[in-house]
Amino acid sequence: MPRVQEKAKILENHKEAEGIYRLVLYAPRIVPTARPGQFVMVRVASEGSDPLLARPFSFHRLHKEDGLFELLVRVVGRGTQLLSQSRPGSPLQVVGPLGRGFTLPTSAQETVFFVAGGIGIAPLQALLDHVLTTTHKDHPERVYLFYGVRTAGEFISLNSLKRTGIHLVLSTDDGSTGQSGTVVEAVQQSVKDLSSMPERLYACGSLPMQVSLARWVQGRNIFVEMSLESMMACGLGACLGCALPAVHADGPEVEHYLHVCQDGPVLDPRRIRWDKVQPLMVRPQTYVSL
Amino acid sequence: MGQSPTPHGSAPDLRVSLGPLQLANPVLTASGTFGYGLEFSDFVDLSRLGGIVVKGLSLKPRPGNPPPRLAETPCGLLNAIGLENVGVEKFIEDKLPLLRQRGALIIVNILGNTVEEYAELAALLSGVPGIAALEINISCPNVKKGGMVFGTDPHMAAQVVAAVRKRTHLPLITKLSPNVTSIADIARAVVDAGSDILSCINTVSAMAVDPFSRRPKLANILGGLSGPAIKPIALRCVYETVQAVSCPVIGIGGIQTALDALEFLLVGASAVQVGTANFVHPRASLDILDGIERFCRQQGLGAITDYIGTLDTSCRFPLADMSCDLSHPRPFP
Repeated sequence: MPRVQEKAKILENHKEAEGIYRLVLYAPRIVPTARPGQFVMVRVASEGSDPLLARPFSFHRLHKEDGLFELLVRVVGRGTQLLSQSRPGSPLQVVGPLGRGFTLPTSAQETVFFVAGGIGIAPLQALLDHVLTTTHKDHPERVYLFYGVRTAGEFISLNSLKRTGIHLVLSTDDGSTGQSGTVVEAVQQSVKDLSSMPERLYACGSLPMQVSLARWVQGRNIFVEMSLESMMACGLGACLGCALPAVHADGPEVEHYLHVCQDGPVLDPRRIRWDKVQPLMVRPQTYVSL
Repeated sequence: MGQSPTPHGSAPDLRVSLGPLQLANPVLTASGTFGYGLEFSDFVDLSRLGGIVVKGLSLKPRPGNPPPRLAETPCGLLNAIGLENVGVEKFIEDKLPLLRQRGALIIVNILGNTVEEYAELAALLSGVPGIAALEINISCPNVKKGGMVFGTDPHMAAQVVAAVRKRTHLPLITKLSPNVTSIADIARAVVDAGSDILSCINTVSAMAVDPFSRRPKLANILGGLSGPAIKPIALRCVYETVQAVSCPVIGIGGIQTALDALEFLLVGASAVQVGTANFVHPRASLDILDGIERFCRQQGLGAITDYIGTLDTSCRFPLADMSCDLSHPRPFP
């Protein structure tokens, strides 16, 4: 699939929640071949060298007929802070579509779980849109979205999600909305209540959520894919910076890495050696300006 | 100065001759920043470049260092990839044939844990058609064995080059480290040992830490700094190397634009390698090539060789001259 570099035009930039922005970009060359779960590298500063590198973002929503895509940007560093301040009309250097997307469901008979932790809703929304217009168009009741955040004000797009007809299970760490506790605890509780496992589970979220979910799915016969993140320089498979320690067929003593940009960002979490993943491989939770 | 003026409408001659290695133009891509070339083929017509230097190869595949392997710094990139690569066998079988189809001039960067490994790699690659030259990596700061250990000691650096020289007739480029007291000493040692060409610089040994978690940002603690932040260091190293040896030198370090590349050519580099800029803009190498061509046209240069090494260090600008209008640069002498 061709990857292109395009000067994408910002059409909209909305603040969705504290520190979270939704950008709508016009990129008619990138959008046609883009799939849910794939990502783009977005260069924040078109002039100058600081910040130097582009940042990876998953497609949040794809509007193929209009040549548009949406990004959810959480401010975690200077690059994302600058991006959050970008004005409509200004261009951004974008390279994509990159990486492997989600494996799409093929049958309406399957019960599908989406598990989103915080900004992890970003890539799952694109997949949810796809599922609700194709396989599960007439069976939204077989789709569950578990959506957990720290506190109620961090939810994105709740009104439109409520209109889809899916099972929407909300949770907050502080108990301000929905179930109190983590999103993974909400999944575990639901499985107990339903007395059955979903056929498919798609997830994206923070490192603790990923670790917790990876532990839970271990040994269970479910199709699982998780969208992962890692620091990247190129997004093209050249820099080899976005390595994650991975399980090797020859055993745990063999040092082996997967690369988020090429092997992912969508991967079965059972392929990752979570015990070797260091906390600093994911970005800090909040941007601090001193 | 013997310039060859560009006849009206004709393209400037961008060919450069690096001893035994002839290039169609002076723009190459740097090892470790362009994968095996194929990763960029959606963006770059590889046959247009002077050449590509592929990701450093070892005898056996290497998994590389544990992550985190990258940290961004002001105007720079810190990496500790640890020379992850597919190994020479897989490169020859899987990557090289595809790369040759693209019409690229291919230079292979080699690395070893021992002198013998470097020599063995050279012998293996010498028998393979389609490889134009070898670049000996004795300057990677991110590995415990080999790498910079060889490149910071003139005697050991010379040992590696001499061992490689015995096993191949391919043009040899030795990639030098800036992490030394005197780059000129290393340069002289490896040229005496048989290196045809030098490339400098590799990354600058550096560090980044997180003040909140109180941890280093790289699992390896130290890494190699690249990008615009190191360009002045690289330029100095190239200048000193050009003064020290008579063989051709390839400039590397923070080249983002054609103007950056021209600075290296001006101080005497016969060619340049574009590195971290490939990550920032996948088409950076071609943009730089196009910019050099435009510059030659604007300056009335018939050949890029008329520009290489023409830095005038005899001139001392009195303070008053600095007020001149720099938007109208004086015509090239």
